[in-house]
Amino acid sequence: MYKRSLALLLVCLMILTLAFSGCSKPATETGSEAGGETAAPADEVIKVGWMGSLTGDQAVWGQCEFDTVKMLFEEINAKGGVLGGKKLEAIGYDTKGDPQEAVNVAKRLTGQDKVVAIIGPNASGNAIPIAPVLEEAKVPDIATVATNPKVTVLDGKVKPFNFRVCFIDPYQGAVAAGYAYDVLKFTKAAILYDVADDYSQGLTEFFEEFFKAKGGTVVAKEAFKFGDVDFRPQLSKIKDAGPEVLFLPVFFKEAALIANQARELGITVPLMGGDGLPSEQLFTMAKDAVQGTYIVNHVDYDDPEVQDLKTRYRNKYGKELELNGYLAHDAVVLLIDAIERAGSADPVKITEALETADVQGVTGRIKIGKDTHNPEGKEAAIVKIEGDKYVFQQKYSAQLD
Amino acid sequence: MSQFLQQLINGLSIGSVYALMAVGYSLVYSIMNFSNFAHGGVIMLGAYFGYYYLTAAGLPFPVAFIVAALTTCLLAVIIERGAYKPLRERKAPFLYFIISAMGTSIFLENMVIATIGPTFRTYPEILSRTPIQIGSVSVGRLDLTMFIISAICLALLVFFIDHTKMGKAIQATAYNIKASALMGINTDLVIIVVFALGGFFAGIAGVLFGMKYTVYPQIGIITNKSFIAAVFGGLGSLPGAVIGSILLGIIETITSGYFSSQYRDLIAFVLLIAVLVFRPSGLMGKVTEDKA
Amino acid sequence: MDLNYIFGILTLAGINLMSVLGLSLLTGFTGMFSFGHAGFMAIGGYTSAMMTVKFGLPFIPALLIGGLIAALVSSIIGKLTLNLKGDYFCIATLGFGEAIRLILDNVQYFGGARGWPGIPHHTQLLNVVIINIVAIIVLANIVRSKHGRNMIAVREEELASQIVGINVFKYKLISLMISAAYAGIAGGLMAHYMTFLQPKMFSLVKSTELTIIVIFGGLGSISGSVLGALVLTSLPEILRTFSEWRLVIYGLSVVIIMITRPSGLMGGYEFTPSSMKKLFARMKNKNKGLPNQMEGGKTV
Repeated sequence: MYKRSLALLLVCLMILTLAFSGCSKPATETGSEAGGETAAPADEVIKVGWMGSLTGDQAVWGQCEFDTVKMLFEEINAKGGVLGGKKLEAIGYDTKGDPQEAVNVAKRLTGQDKVVAIIGPNASGNAIPIAPVLEEAKVPDIATVATNPKVTVLDGKVKPFNFRVCFIDPYQGAVAAGYAYDVLKFTKAAILYDVADDYSQGLTEFFEEFFKAKGGTVVAKEAFKFGDVDFRPQLSKIKDAGPEVLFLPVFFKEAALIANQARELGITVPLMGGDGLPSEQLFTMAKDAVQGTYIVNHVDYDDPEVQDLKTRYRNKYGKELELNGYLAHDAVVLLIDAIERAGSADPVKITEALETADVQGVTGRIKIGKDTHNPEGKEAAIVKIEGDKYVFQQKYSAQLD
Repeated sequence: MSQFLQQLINGLSIGSVYALMAVGYSLVYSIMNFSNFAHGGVIMLGAYFGYYYLTAAGLPFPVAFIVAALTTCLLAVIIERGAYKPLRERKAPFLYFIISAMGTSIFLENMVIATIGPTFRTYPEILSRTPIQIGSVSVGRLDLTMFIISAICLALLVFFIDHTKMGKAIQATAYNIKASALMGINTDLVIIVVFALGGFFAGIAGVLFGMKYTVYPQIGIITNKSFIAAVFGGLGSLPGAVIGSILLGIIETITSGYFSSQYRDLIAFVLLIAVLVFRPSGLMGKVTEDKA
Repeated sequence: MDLNYIFGILTLAGINLMSVLGLSLLTGFTGMFSFGHAGFMAIGGYTSAMMTVKFGLPFIPALLIGGLIAALVSSIIGKLTLNLKGDYFCIATLGFGEAIRLILDNVQYFGGARGWPGIPHHTQLLNVVIINIVAIIVLANIVRSKHGRNMIAVREEELASQIVGINVFKYKLISLMISAAYAGIAGGLMAHYMTFLQPKMFSLVKSTELTIIVIFGGLGSISGSVLGALVLTSLPEILRTFSEWRLVIYGLSVVIIMITRPSGLMGGYEFTPSSMKKLFARMKNKNKGLPNQMEGGKTV
């Protein structure tokens, strides 16, 4: 009896906590506080939301993204903030990479924390469902590496509050196919992709489409399922098909395992991949096996402008900056520019300013297209793995259509 | 033909990974009659322990290997004491054990993410990655080693269960826990030993898995497969777990090699259900009696 | 506290509750454990989204069709697997759930793994609440009917029920079909709340979450399920500020609840007008220092 009452009491308490947790200042929350001075009066602080995976399979990128945003905000605050002295504060929440969580986070950020804009998420599957929430709250979102076209445009109509700083899957597929066929002169490609992953499926579709349109043949198209670690059955089959290049539209963990296993089975052809591949971790996992791999990347790591950001991040966190960090950096640059040009921290005005944004980021020039909300004409950087470096080959852009 | 042989070897090697993981499940199931979903978490930690003993503590490989397995041994016993014993004392139905196990596995996985971080770790190269070539078929050195280590461990386990007093007590307890207690067997001790053995196997599986693939907090996902393999072979039966695992490995390989890699798991599941329809207790499972 | 955010969480709790109610009938009242209910949610979700998007049907009929299709699929699965015991049934349902997800990943008509955006936004807090109230009334009536008592008999003593002439298989099948229909409707609600469907949303984790809610609330208690769905949907939101420690705490609290309250929050109890009366009477008795004779109650 007492136990039951106790449990019921506990439940009531929990519900009450939920109801009142909004009254407490987010500034007291653990892990959400960035460089913003806690002493600054409320109207002097501009809150910016961040969302992404802090747990789950993509936590590596999510944590790096959030760390980058926090670091940049601290730097900006130290230099005197934005809009003539206002401080920036980053409030970030974990989505686990789950669409439902993403919707909750978007509601919390826009409704409760009253952020002026959101940076992230990195997964397209999370960036798509938050659109109605953004439209209701009239708060803009800048996605970092969500490459699905439908993140910003649906049924031919642009979503008013969704923006992004990366190129899109069809473009990436076209670049990869074009570079493989036209520059590297490969005519026979094999694909090994993750059937349960949205990014992998999208890139596969567009690579296949453009590669075939160029005149190449896809000799093998094999799949695995998220969570798999052994790819030898598929690779044995691919080996028999005799491709000239193995295209891997996957993330670096799978890519490293695939590379190791492919070399074990005696597949010696070069590998090729998209923006899921570049990571410092690729080298620790499969340094020898990935030599000579071509990657369609957002950023040229040798670019002098990039070096400074890399060093700052390394000095602060003691780890290497992952690809997502570069795009998070550009999202911050884009946002700050929009806030300054809007001359206010009003979300609607920021959105208007974002629509006409044209800034230079570390991943290239970001000129937001009014009808697409994508950075238009952004070139991809082709890099090749040599030793433990991503060696820049060339900037490459492809024509869609 | 050479492709078929290669696929068969691939299947055997995948199957032996499943087998090593499935044995721990089956051991616990045979005594406690519930699926210990926390096993995946223990395997994952085993991989991490092995990694840190090798790199941070600088132990030589065989020592690190054994110490890692002993650590997971201890961990499994602690989990039993913390998450299952209170339920056991209340004679709670198996559902509660499963939920408690799931809670534990969520806890372990996220504890690692929160403390160690989500980054992937790679074991230093202990065995050369260059495979042994037999004709046009290649056999990985690590696969071969894994196969041998698994076989030795399983043989030792079978010896332990068949030829020691404790092993006999385990068999008796698996047959009927109440009657064994009445016959003077310390069933509480038996349960500890079983969890310790399960933990030991989890440690071995974790280290070998980590060496072969990589170490990351979500290793637990792959143990779902070994769980399915254990059901395939018949829960609670050690030979069943091994045979089920090897079969599942080969079925998966053949499916993706000759039919469709896109629908591989679908075909594996359909086969699983087909086996269960005709043999409701798996291939070699003990026939569970109706409660009367 | 922002109302929009609270309404969002409550809507989500309502959607979860819908499938938990169904699962409660299967697990709490009939004694079977399913790891595949996310699969039924997926079937319901994709079917009802197809009805509204491709055939232009109104929301409520689309939901019902989603539930119906889920129930139909469950009857096929049930016929094959309901004879299995305990963990074997559990694994068969796990296999089913993963198989559904794999099929949806491959079917490009529904967008495959990349998901299906642009589903109209129909699910509001109000209609979720109304649908849940109807669902609770229907479920309470089923449980209290002759059929419901037969299901409980199957849960308690399968062999004995068989002997007294209860068609065990039939009742298991009915229970599975009703629970699948509930899950299907919940999936439809989810689709029209998220305006987006992705097979990833219906993973094993989702099925596990639902089962945890049922057991957390208390097996064989509808009010427990309601409470469980509310608490366990909002708990991760309360813990949100803990960032990466959130799931550590979640996992730990599940274990602690299991070992300290093995019959769940409500432990077979129901909130009904008469039970409230009894509760107050008992509290009075206690205050007077009288011995409490009604302690305990029905536990599973």
